[in-house]
Amino acid sequence: MSTPNGTAMNGATSLVKSLEAAGVDVMFGIPGGAILPAYDPIFDSKIRHILVRHEQGAGHAATGYAQVSGRAGVCIATSGPGATNLVTPLADAAMDSVPLVAITGQVPSAAIGTDAFQEADIRGITMPFTKHNYLITDPAEIPRAIAEAFHIATTGRPGPVLVDIAKDALQKETVFNWPASVSLKGYQPAVQPNAQSISDAAALITQSHRPVFYVGGGIMKANASKELREIAELLGAPVVTTLMALGSFPHSHPLHMGMPGMHGSVAAVTTLQKSDLLITLGARFDDRVTGKLSTFAVNAKVIHCDVDPAEIGKNRFADVPVIGDLKHTLIALIPALKAALAKNRPDLSTWLRQVNNLKSTYPLGYDKPSDGSVSPQYVIERLGKLSAPDSIYVAGVGQHQMWAAQFVPYELPRTWLNSGGLGTMGYSVPAAMGAKVAAPDTTVWSIDGDGCFQMTNQELVTCALNNIPIKVAIINNESLGMVRQWQTLFYEGRYSNTNLESKRVPDFPKLADAMGCVGLSCDRPEDVDKTIEKALSINDQPVVVDFRVHRDAMVWPMVAAGTSNDDIMIAREMAPDWDSQEL
Amino acid sequence: MSKHTLEVLVENSPGVLARVAGLFSRRAYNIDALTVGPTKDPAISKMQIDVDVEGHALEQVISQLDKLINVISIKEILPNKVKPAPTDTQPDYQN
Repeated sequence: MSTPNGTAMNGATSLVKSLEAAGVDVMFGIPGGAILPAYDPIFDSKIRHILVRHEQGAGHAATGYAQVSGRAGVCIATSGPGATNLVTPLADAAMDSVPLVAITGQVPSAAIGTDAFQEADIRGITMPFTKHNYLITDPAEIPRAIAEAFHIATTGRPGPVLVDIAKDALQKETVFNWPASVSLKGYQPAVQPNAQSISDAAALITQSHRPVFYVGGGIMKANASKELREIAELLGAPVVTTLMALGSFPHSHPLHMGMPGMHGSVAAVTTLQKSDLLITLGARFDDRVTGKLSTFAVNAKVIHCDVDPAEIGKNRFADVPVIGDLKHTLIALIPALKAALAKNRPDLSTWLRQVNNLKSTYPLGYDKPSDGSVSPQYVIERLGKLSAPDSIYVAGVGQHQMWAAQFVPYELPRTWLNSGGLGTMGYSVPAAMGAKVAAPDTTVWSIDGDGCFQMTNQELVTCALNNIPIKVAIINNESLGMVRQWQTLFYEGRYSNTNLESKRVPDFPKLADAMGCVGLSCDRPEDVDKTIEKALSINDQPVVVDFRVHRDAMVWPMVAAGTSNDDIMIAREMAPDWDSQEL
Repeated sequence: MSKHTLEVLVENSPGVLARVAGLFSRRAYNIDALTVGPTKDPAISKMQIDVDVEGHALEQVISQLDKLINVISIKEILPNKVKPAPTDTQPDYQN
């Protein structure tokens, strides 16, 4: 099965044999001149190559695949524009710590630097947002570069790695030599946490009376949901899960306070604000979570557990930093905390009563439109209710993304995918395609906006032709809805260039039909359930549903950009009734 | 602001200077001076970087530099002695 070392072949075959040796089973890409030599051995390889319609689609599909499977996603493109079309997905993967390996062809080495046809310095371009990247001009270096790329992408804090290979390196004869192991002088990511920091963390927790678990996307990367639940129940402290961590802790759990941040729940935002100890697990104090940083959780000490030492102290001072893989960290911290609690268990009952009071007083909700039109939140809520519990939801970016984060009850890890850090409109359809490839027997919903959908919907052709039956719910408010919301709130309702007119053009069901998908439409609240059920019943073709929703719905609660979390609004010009709270 | 000098051993690979310079630029760290020279090992180069930072910012500069795969080790050079980088949370400084 595996190719023996010492076998003679050309660089292109060596590349494909290397990808096979790295365990790749699927990759997304488009051929072109410089990468063409590689596509000849791909033709014979057992690796499934999915021919996409745009390289951006290949990159996001690889991300969706990686986010669901936990393995590295692979995309492949040619030089110049093929490679630059991967720039957005690579930046996206870097921001959300997604293990990705991108292979690009480069012009022949003798032509590099001459402004040759389809030449772009993709290694230079992608340096700021790849974990590492390579330019290979010697075919003998291909196996080592591929082995290192997968090692770097998937260990430590995961991230994207790009391997750019000159065309002549693919064409020249070489000898295949897959390295038995990878050793990099400058890269030894921490795995086991320091024992002293574990005992310091346990001690600090027992001194706290208002602790909260502030959980980020790192918990997902570390596959540590089980350990998270164990430590949360051991301490009996509230848990908030950020946008990147939804599903890592069951939403139905009594200790779950929801999502913090700009559009987080009052309970989650306020629990952080009033806490005296943030037990931070794989989160990075992003501005969308902290609000105005100097006013964020001002009375809290911080335990910061992260695999990336550079996150410690980047935005917020850590009283106790714990560097290591989160799963190993929690496995070490749980017994240490158990022992510490046996000696001194703080009484958290007042704190729990306070936060639970917030949770019950300020549940997420929305107003039904008075004109009888469909409410976007209602559509998303019903999607979450009617789909199987293990269904995967993949959002674009904007209002629909926030509603999908708020109104689908995520109970399982890796069932919620979105572009959290970069905020990439157009992420949803291709990422859903990759997710469905990773989990072919699971229902995959792309919850997309009408603006986002028009950026990358060409991949529905790829889905239709390759038996990847995703379902797309377009939340069509005929606007760039989140931008429009900001114009409503901060620009006196001057709707400059946010009217997409997508209830007139395009005709989404017809567009879906033209791309080999089933197109459905729904514009009455009473039809929402039966339309969703119809979509759920079709599993041999992709389905696109045009949910034509009320235009003026807004995302609440909201902490306006640059303001303090203390100034959270539950509706326009409406703050929570703090006087009625004992906090 | 306070001045520090870092001695950074890097793999002598193409693009390594661009990686270091790009990191300082995009994270808005100030470089006062930067020199690159060879070491006895032709595979390794030595950079001396004078930075203008203070407090936790220096730790950030070091942590971010350390994330570059081609960076092998970082030391802060004090006027009369060489001491290891000022945190013990970085498992791969010594490597």
